[in-house]
Amino acid sequence: MTVIETVPADSEDTRGSSLPRYLALKAGGALISLALVVVLGFFMFRIIPGDPAINMTRGRQVSPGEVERLRQEMGLDQPLLVQFWRFVRDLFTGDLGTSYVYRRPVTELIGDYIGPTLLLTGTAAIISVVLGLWLGQKAAWRRGSWFDKIHTGVALVFWSVPTFWLGLLLLLVFGGGLGWFPTGGMSTAASTDTGIAHVLDVAHHLVLPVVTMVAVIYAQYLMVMRASVLEEMSADYLTTARAKGLREDLVRTRHAVPNALLPTVTLIFLTLGLLIAGTVTVETVFSWPGLGYLTYKGLSAPDFPLVQGTFVVFSAAVIVMNFIADLLYRVLDPRLKSS
Amino acid sequence: MTEPTLVWDDVRITYAGGNVAVDGVSLEVERGGTVGLAGESGCGKSTLAMSVLRLLPRSARIEGRIVLQGEEVAGMTWGRLRAVRWTEAAIVFQGAMHSLNPVRQVRHQVAEALALHSTKEFPDSAARLRRVDELLALVDLTPAKGRAYPHELSGGQRQRVMIAMALACDPELIIADEPTTALDVVVQAQVLDVLNGLVRDRELTLVMISHDLAVLAAVCDRIVVMQDGRIVEQGKAQQILAAPTHEHTKELAAAFPIIGDPSSRLVVGRDPGSLSDHSSLSVSTSSTGGVVLEVRDLTVDFRSRGQHVRAVDHVDLSCGAGEIVALVGQSGSGKTTLARTILGLQKPTSGQVLHEGKPLPHRRAALKAYRRQVQYVLQDPTASLNPKHTVYEAVAEGIRIHGLDDERERVIRALTRAELTPPERFFAAIPQELSGGQRQRVVIAGALALDPTYLVADEPVASLDASVRGEILALLLQLRRDLGLGALVITHDLGLAWNIADRVVVMHRGQIVENGPVEQVLLDPQHDYTKSLLAVVPSKLGLR
Repeated sequence: MTVIETVPADSEDTRGSSLPRYLALKAGGALISLALVVVLGFFMFRIIPGDPAINMTRGRQVSPGEVERLRQEMGLDQPLLVQFWRFVRDLFTGDLGTSYVYRRPVTELIGDYIGPTLLLTGTAAIISVVLGLWLGQKAAWRRGSWFDKIHTGVALVFWSVPTFWLGLLLLLVFGGGLGWFPTGGMSTAASTDTGIAHVLDVAHHLVLPVVTMVAVIYAQYLMVMRASVLEEMSADYLTTARAKGLREDLVRTRHAVPNALLPTVTLIFLTLGLLIAGTVTVETVFSWPGLGYLTYKGLSAPDFPLVQGTFVVFSAAVIVMNFIADLLYRVLDPRLKSS
Repeated sequence: MTEPTLVWDDVRITYAGGNVAVDGVSLEVERGGTVGLAGESGCGKSTLAMSVLRLLPRSARIEGRIVLQGEEVAGMTWGRLRAVRWTEAAIVFQGAMHSLNPVRQVRHQVAEALALHSTKEFPDSAARLRRVDELLALVDLTPAKGRAYPHELSGGQRQRVMIAMALACDPELIIADEPTTALDVVVQAQVLDVLNGLVRDRELTLVMISHDLAVLAAVCDRIVVMQDGRIVEQGKAQQILAAPTHEHTKELAAAFPIIGDPSSRLVVGRDPGSLSDHSSLSVSTSSTGGVVLEVRDLTVDFRSRGQHVRAVDHVDLSCGAGEIVALVGQSGSGKTTLARTILGLQKPTSGQVLHEGKPLPHRRAALKAYRRQVQYVLQDPTASLNPKHTVYEAVAEGIRIHGLDDERERVIRALTRAELTPPERFFAAIPQELSGGQRQRVVIAGALALDPTYLVADEPVASLDASVRGEILALLLQLRRDLGLGALVITHDLGLAWNIADRVVVMHRGQIVENGPVEQVLLDPQHDYTKSLLAVVPSKLGLR
């Protein structure tokens, strides 16, 4: 027979570009977002009612001259645009200013408080992602079963509960009432424990805040994974796998789940950034010495350099995670990698 | 006498909701036999095939006996069934679609079957991958192709991977479910060749499913025609193809016309009394004076993966008013790009498109007016209709965009012309509630609503069933007769060109290699490419 070489199908839709170009594009986008966030943050916090100089001197006998001096010291006597210019200039040298309340450089403060936040959100994120994805794929595979109904129901109830309310409830019951867990902080005050004992002490303090965070966020992973697996469940390649003689659980874990994970992974990274920013309520409720708690303190002053600093960190977390999500999706899906 | 490989004995398969997919089918497939199951979508042929390995959804209820190699399928335990799957019977799914896992290399997908069933012969993964290379060689694929992901392979290559996969565990029986649907004719011929060779060399028992009688005849000795879950005709392949007796078989056969057979040329008004129709038809074709669309020295380039691809290469073409022109070629020949450029959806790199002597406008408003004149009908009506829009909305959308008055009047007229009558009955229907043919009529009605002067139709019947295919083609001819509406029909199917076209334009690698009246091009092809296309037309394959 006549064989005519086959020309690959119409190549109209290869909009994908090379990896370096893609990277540069996404990184550029991320930097622009960050710059906009910095500008927005600066002006947003100036709208907060309250004069830091007056608030800081409240309850003390001060002359108007002293307040004025304090203002000058903090640079608040300057026009807004000059303040902004100074803020941006310092930002480029890595200086986020000096906190009004703590009287220490903001960068130093953030350095001290970021560890506990990462510990808390990291633990909560890992637990909720693993739990959510596992329950989600299981629920989808047994769609309509009691397992499915109970787990989606419970997850949605927790999802709808306000974080601070759940935190306070847990605090009252397990911290105050039953006394099983400490009611605040990250370690027992005045304890001099080191090594294993210290780790266990911190873990003990970690339980309630982590449970609160996990309860509120695992639902979204469950629901997305469930939807994603459901979408794949009627896929033809699963019939192929079954026809080959694969057991049902292998059909699920080898074929359905890897495909269902693709859209889910992106979502996970998108939410991780938000998770860090969302610690404000949990940390405040449990007086967890992290960035959220610091932000709360800063907002009540209002301590402009401090809240600006934490705001930059939170925004950077979201933007960086988005960036990673974009990259990861490209790496995970062979269809995007090659184009 | 040896025991038959596969027996269906009075099998009845009912889906949830009482939908009877298979209704009392009895069929035996002898050892080494090749049987083709023919029928339209929904006739139960795939359900019947899937029942052999119990791959039907749980809601399906099976009555009757299915016996595979002397063992009743319904009586197998799950463990036994899993062991039987792929070792005794394997299925070649429609690989051009989504039957391969998109995120795994294809060699691992083939090796997976070996890891399940042939751990004795191929104990470790290195041995299995070596075996995969051998299997790929059987279907003319290099080992390098095994490292590819499905999307990196062409449709024909994916289909060959599916065949290699089916052969992995040396099954007795192979069931091929529409193995060449969605492949273009040339690739289809290659895949059929591979299947044919394997069946011959390995003495496989083959059950092949297709809606295309000619494709079945190219591989199978015996053809069984199904309709509404029942067998309506069976016999030797050549006999079914040459002298079908049942009405439905004739319909199926008509969808793949024999090029050169004057009776396959569709004419409007088939009943003998309507001679006037014939004369009016000839009058309208002869009176086509003006050129509606003209393409002058058109070139379209794409940049893809850093290199330039010339999709359309210095093409000249003209379409007269009321003329039906078939633009034929393989996928990748640039025919769709040419159509998109004609419609102003794609910017040409150089050259011109002229409509009634005037070059295609660039300004938005003028382009809009042009698009009202030249309407586009896409291949897959299911994909081109918004599933949430009712028929009325789908047809009225164009009218609204162009700000025309008498919306309701126009919708009624368009639907009537597309033979969706009475039109009011279809107003509230959503695409899901319509048959494939009705959906394509809605798409055509949407185009007609704007009173166009010319249609561009991209594979208008490729996704439709055989019996509907004829209706839609007749509709195109009728619109030409009644409204003087010409059409540029893009197709890979030379039979379709023979059915309705006045003129055939053959496109190969972006260039027009042959252009002339249909009889001349198809019966006396001059260019080698046209000859090779004609050589792989399924109806010819069946007659080899």
